[in-house]
Amino acid sequence: MRAFRHLSLSDALGIGLILCVAVFSLLLLVAPSIIVVMISFDTRAFVSFPPEGFTLRWYAEVFEQGELVDAMLNSLQVGLTVTLLCILLGVPTALACARGRFRGTTALSVFVLVPHMVPGIVLGVAVLFAGALVGVSPSIWLQSVAITVFILAVMVRTVQSRLVRLDPALEEAAANLRATPFQSLRTVTFPLLMPAILAGAVFTFVEGFDNLSVAIFTHGFRDRPLPVELLALVQYTSSPLVAAVSGVQIVLAIAALVAVSLSIGLDNVND
Amino acid sequence: MMQGPTGPATSVATTSPVLRIGGVGKRFGTFTVLDDCSLDVAEGEIVTLLGPSGCGKTTLLRCIAGFWDADSGSITIDGQDMARVPVNRRPVGVVFQSYALFPHLTVARNVGYALRMQGVPRAEAARRVAAALETVSLTGFEDRYPAQLSGGQQQRVAIARVLVMEPRVLLLDEPFNALDAKLRGTMQVELRQLIKSLGLTSIFVTHDQEEALTMSDRIAVMRAGRIEQAAPPDEIFDRPATAYVADFIGSSNFWPSLVADGRVSLPDGQSVATGLRGAVRVMARPHNLQIAPPAAGPWQGRVAFQRSVGPLVEYHVETEGGDAMVKVVAMRRAQDRGFADGTAVSLRIVDPALCAVYPA
Amino acid sequence: MAEASYTAPLATRGLGERLVDALLSGRGIWPAVPAIIVLTVVAVIPFVILLSLGFSDMEVSRGAIVSQTFSLQHLTNALTDPLYWTTFQRSMTLALTTTALCIFFGYPVAYLFLIGGRWTRRLILVLTIAPLLTSGIVRTYAWLVILGGRGVVNSTLMSLGLIDQPLRIMNTHWAVLIGMVQIHLPVMILPLIAVMSRHDGRLVEASANLGASRLGTLRTVILPLSVPGIGTGAALVFTLSYTTFVVPQLLGGGNYLNAATMIYEQVVYSLEWSKGSVSSMILMVTCLIVLVAIALVTNHFTRWTKGRDA
Repeated sequence: MRAFRHLSLSDALGIGLILCVAVFSLLLLVAPSIIVVMISFDTRAFVSFPPEGFTLRWYAEVFEQGELVDAMLNSLQVGLTVTLLCILLGVPTALACARGRFRGTTALSVFVLVPHMVPGIVLGVAVLFAGALVGVSPSIWLQSVAITVFILAVMVRTVQSRLVRLDPALEEAAANLRATPFQSLRTVTFPLLMPAILAGAVFTFVEGFDNLSVAIFTHGFRDRPLPVELLALVQYTSSPLVAAVSGVQIVLAIAALVAVSLSIGLDNVND
Repeated sequence: MMQGPTGPATSVATTSPVLRIGGVGKRFGTFTVLDDCSLDVAEGEIVTLLGPSGCGKTTLLRCIAGFWDADSGSITIDGQDMARVPVNRRPVGVVFQSYALFPHLTVARNVGYALRMQGVPRAEAARRVAAALETVSLTGFEDRYPAQLSGGQQQRVAIARVLVMEPRVLLLDEPFNALDAKLRGTMQVELRQLIKSLGLTSIFVTHDQEEALTMSDRIAVMRAGRIEQAAPPDEIFDRPATAYVADFIGSSNFWPSLVADGRVSLPDGQSVATGLRGAVRVMARPHNLQIAPPAAGPWQGRVAFQRSVGPLVEYHVETEGGDAMVKVVAMRRAQDRGFADGTAVSLRIVDPALCAVYPA
Repeated sequence: MAEASYTAPLATRGLGERLVDALLSGRGIWPAVPAIIVLTVVAVIPFVILLSLGFSDMEVSRGAIVSQTFSLQHLTNALTDPLYWTTFQRSMTLALTTTALCIFFGYPVAYLFLIGGRWTRRLILVLTIAPLLTSGIVRTYAWLVILGGRGVVNSTLMSLGLIDQPLRIMNTHWAVLIGMVQIHLPVMILPLIAVMSRHDGRLVEASANLGASRLGTLRTVILPLSVPGIGTGAALVFTLSYTTFVVPQLLGGGNYLNAATMIYEQVVYSLEWSKGSVSSMILMVTCLIVLVAIALVTNHFTRWTKGRDA
């Protein structure tokens, strides 16, 4: 490895130690998921390591349990609703923040960020209480809207940072070439923003699907989302069933990751 | 000798101008970017806005295009006031500094963009796109994306993209900036010939005087938001209206002097007539000075530095009593190396009539 | 001919298009108005209500508030209740320890990212982002499997003959801490990687050319330049681990109370909403204090990012 050429002893030791910690951390990141996936194929009805035998029985059972399937469908609905709302509310807001010529564009950016900075459970409690005060009881819709407010900033920031890096001359060129503001938006700005919107959509969907901190206070009594259902399942059962649910989620996560890397490239995720 | 900012008083004032900029002003906060700029551009004329960065040349271009609104004054095209005309209705085509080609559209769709936005029927649009691409010799590149083109090809797509909508005025914002130095020279000549063959009225913005001298019918030299002088290249070079223009275009020598009986005496003992009074500054171009052995004249000096610039030799001469370096340009002579560093020399002004006199 | 090209009408536009044109052309705040309304109704007003509930006595029946009167009782109760103090202290200690450990384990990964090639970088990105896309419960569940009585750790130790009886790791402070660090590690690594990927490689070369060792370069060039990333990561990890619900609930066992689980019990089980409001407020305020402290420390170490006038 290039990094190890011409090293003094103290350098070699120090850097070696740092790289050992790095490798350990990376293993720490990935090992639990691998263990869970291994457990999910165990033939025994209790969680133990190492697993014995191989069966797909737990995966089949996941889809036979009505409550789990319902919970998945609920979370799917919340995820899609949150994503849709975030696109509808977030993309125009990003446009206003990045292209606006009014006073307070910075204030607007901060305002959008505030609900995201507040701890999720505090937002969840606040929405629950406010709903109670005006007679809106927890439901799948209240949950969706609350999570939207919580995660909106991610969509706005993703789109906004792309907009800021977009050459303003492109939109000027469109206008110069006879495009109306709407035409310019449709033919130039949106196509160029699409990767950012897609990336934002993946993250908002995952949040809608997986969020527990806001959802636990705002979900409907009968419409329990997957994380709430899972929490109960993990606490009260000891079969590898949860591992199978986890396995399904891990597959979905990998799919999402592929989607993100195809749409914007992994290297741009940070922006 | 002295001339005010030249308006339509030059060769092209016969018909009414296509573009008329009348007293345009623009401020950003307390900073004045444009201050009472007036300029008329005749049919088919290429006018260059030349000046250092921050002089307001790009601002003026953006006001003409409609990206920014002028605070005062008027911009008319073919007699029609542009004040209330939005960007997308103005009969101007802009070639941007970085070309601003749409990266997600092919060459053909970039060029056909304006036609689609106007709802031109497909068949007619296709015909006009093909014609525009042929004009810039890019036939066969229709399905490429901008990223797959060289800098020069991108520039030609940017030009075809505005040509296709047949603008009355073509605006070019430093279009050679993105090209490497070697390509610039040939592209400048090609672009000028193309614009001339199409008879397009054009405004060209640059900070590069050579580019301006190559491209323009007329150069408007700008300084701090004002147009200092607008005149054909030769006139700008030979008869700069202000000391600023003289200093900005080409190389120049300045001396302080006093007017006596309507004449200014030059350092070599000759004199030149002027209408000014009192303290003045005299300017002579380096090629208007002649360098000779010390015995040849009364204006004595010593060569401090010399360098070859192609077929010319440039001398920096330290003159007696004077603290300023005087620049002299002479043809390189085959036999000798001219005057070596440290050599004592004398200087003479070749044609006093070509010296310019400005208020101090 | 040329004249016609600009006096000709544009393509015909519908009402919707003209509306969008009108909203966009002024470059005004209009596109953001729907979001502002939603955020106000679903976040700002609820926060105000939360605040008001903390200062009032009320009666809750069937998920709705029946009556409400002003009172400072709940705030004073909370501030004098030793349970609050120990709970918040526990949460705070846990969150701060987690943050410190995340920096310790995360920074070397970022360093590996910096010196690594293209594929090393991609691998790190995938391993960091993938967990963020999986649910926190799934990731916590993995630790149940690993640390449980018949889990990975105990099976290994027993098969090696090091212990006879399974160790009790689950439902202890240690289980919670291990889980917290592992689950929040990606949140620390991502901002660090963001800083590292913007890193100017010539600085490292310059440092080496000026005689610095690798460790010296790390300490004097790379580390100071990555302080903003550490600050961002620390703020995120602290907020999440200070307010997390899942990890303590699952790995700490039924008796392990942190701020979040306490709020959950007050709001959902005992329906003591005023108490819940007060707890939420304390949680938010203490969280904010630490975030400001992190920001101040970060700012101190990043004075070089400020412009000349600053």
